[in-house]
Amino acid sequence: MSFAQYVRIWLACARYSVVRTMMFRGDFIMWSMVELFWMAVNLGLIGVIYQHTDSIAGWNQWEMTLLVGTSLLIQRLLMGFFWTNLFELGRNVRSGALDFFVAQPGRLLFMVSTRKLDLDGFINVPIAIGVIVYACRQLGLDPSFAQIAIYALFILCGLGIHYATLLFFISLVFWLQSAKGIEGGYFGLNEFSRLPREAMRGVASVVFVYTLPVVIVTNVPSRTLLHGIQLGDTLWLIGAAALWLTIAITVFHRGLRRYTSASS
Amino acid sequence: MSFAKYRHSFLIGLQSNLVYRWNFAVRASFSLVHLAYVFILWGAAFAGKDSVAGFDLRQTLTYFIVMLVLQFFISAMNEDYEVSEEIRNGLINQFLLKPINYFAYRFSIFAAARLVSGTLALLPILIASPLLLPFMSLPQESWTYVAAIPALIMSACIQFTLAYCFGMLTFWFLEIQSFVILSLAIETVFGGQVFPLDLLPRWLYEISSYLPYYYQMYFPAALLTGRIPGPDEAIRGLCIQFFWVFALYGVAQLLWVRGLRRHTAVGG
Repeated sequence: MSFAQYVRIWLACARYSVVRTMMFRGDFIMWSMVELFWMAVNLGLIGVIYQHTDSIAGWNQWEMTLLVGTSLLIQRLLMGFFWTNLFELGRNVRSGALDFFVAQPGRLLFMVSTRKLDLDGFINVPIAIGVIVYACRQLGLDPSFAQIAIYALFILCGLGIHYATLLFFISLVFWLQSAKGIEGGYFGLNEFSRLPREAMRGVASVVFVYTLPVVIVTNVPSRTLLHGIQLGDTLWLIGAAALWLTIAITVFHRGLRRYTSASS
Repeated sequence: MSFAKYRHSFLIGLQSNLVYRWNFAVRASFSLVHLAYVFILWGAAFAGKDSVAGFDLRQTLTYFIVMLVLQFFISAMNEDYEVSEEIRNGLINQFLLKPINYFAYRFSIFAAARLVSGTLALLPILIASPLLLPFMSLPQESWTYVAAIPALIMSACIQFTLAYCFGMLTFWFLEIQSFVILSLAIETVFGGQVFPLDLLPRWLYEISSYLPYYYQMYFPAALLTGRIPGPDEAIRGLCIQFFWVFALYGVAQLLWVRGLRRHTAVGG
């Protein structure tokens, strides 16, 4: 299949998702509120901690808000584009419904990753951007066009890393009885994206900064707005995104070899 | 009314939950990752400070460790979805024809599931205990532990009954997931899982102490970590918790009776 054909399939899936969402408008509004509330929970934690302290690892309240806003933006994009698809992948492997995707003519990973879009994830993207813009204004930042462009590139890299992390965990379903609770691994690691790199010491720094890209995924974009573009950080984040996508895709395909189709 | 049938459903619950033993173990291991996040975040927030809101770093970290253990022993995990699935798929029809109380049946399954998940969660926590113990600081007063026993039992009842009530919503709504996740978000904050509730402004803390979410998780954890100042406050909390157990049970029964009026059993 050509690239243009994949784009057409994606657009058809997007149209189907929009139509389906509009059929269940109440559900859409409810889910949008849910996502909004979760964002408020994360920002509320920052608010409560800064009522009792002035600094977390040298970051003031608005720098932390910028960091958390960046984390929320990447996560909303992941929710919008990929979450439902990958979550259902876990169930489909267990139930045998993956057969439906295996029988399709396109690349399997593309088919399972892009079938649905979640509009409630996207609807909160402007709110996450609003949090980032507000934090920048509170900090008196005036980023250049190049800084904003590189920040956007880093957000895409972050989306790739989050997708890879989630795919990696969900792919474990090929070895385990079910994916029940496995997605917790993704959420567990994602929490570290809301921490400043300076808070990481010793083993935590080795694991969560240098081995797993969970801290740099938000720290590097935030630092770009705070302190300007740094070549080393740029290469680090792009390299980490490429590496983790490769690992996750390899694990998925290794797991796929164990898939034995529906029992019936 | 014979309890033998609920003992059997409890034993079946044990067996079916043991099938997913690796999932529980993996989930418990991931919780240690969450604990690492909590240690790093609060360690950084306490840097250069002896106490925050009257508690030192060790007391704060103990709170989160206790909270983590309690989650596996008393919190509802998938019970709302399981009840919802049984209603949607018509599986509850079999309970309508048999001399079995659906609430009691589900509660026996819940008790079995928490016994399995709690026991399995202890394994990674015990393995990590040499790392965790230096950060722990438990209260010396014996009354906190005496009060914690009924508080834990009632917390489990509140957790289950709330999940059961959300499952009952399937009689009216096709999908309940959004309700469940929204409630989970509220519970996460007002149940004290994000931060100890006594860090909230006083007026907000007072309001939260009348909500059922406070008694779902925070109250027993606060008792076990010395965050409830005296026996009088503990007794007051137990009374409010007792009220919520019965109030929620009443709501659950009401939803069951009203829901069954809307329910249509089809097929053979």
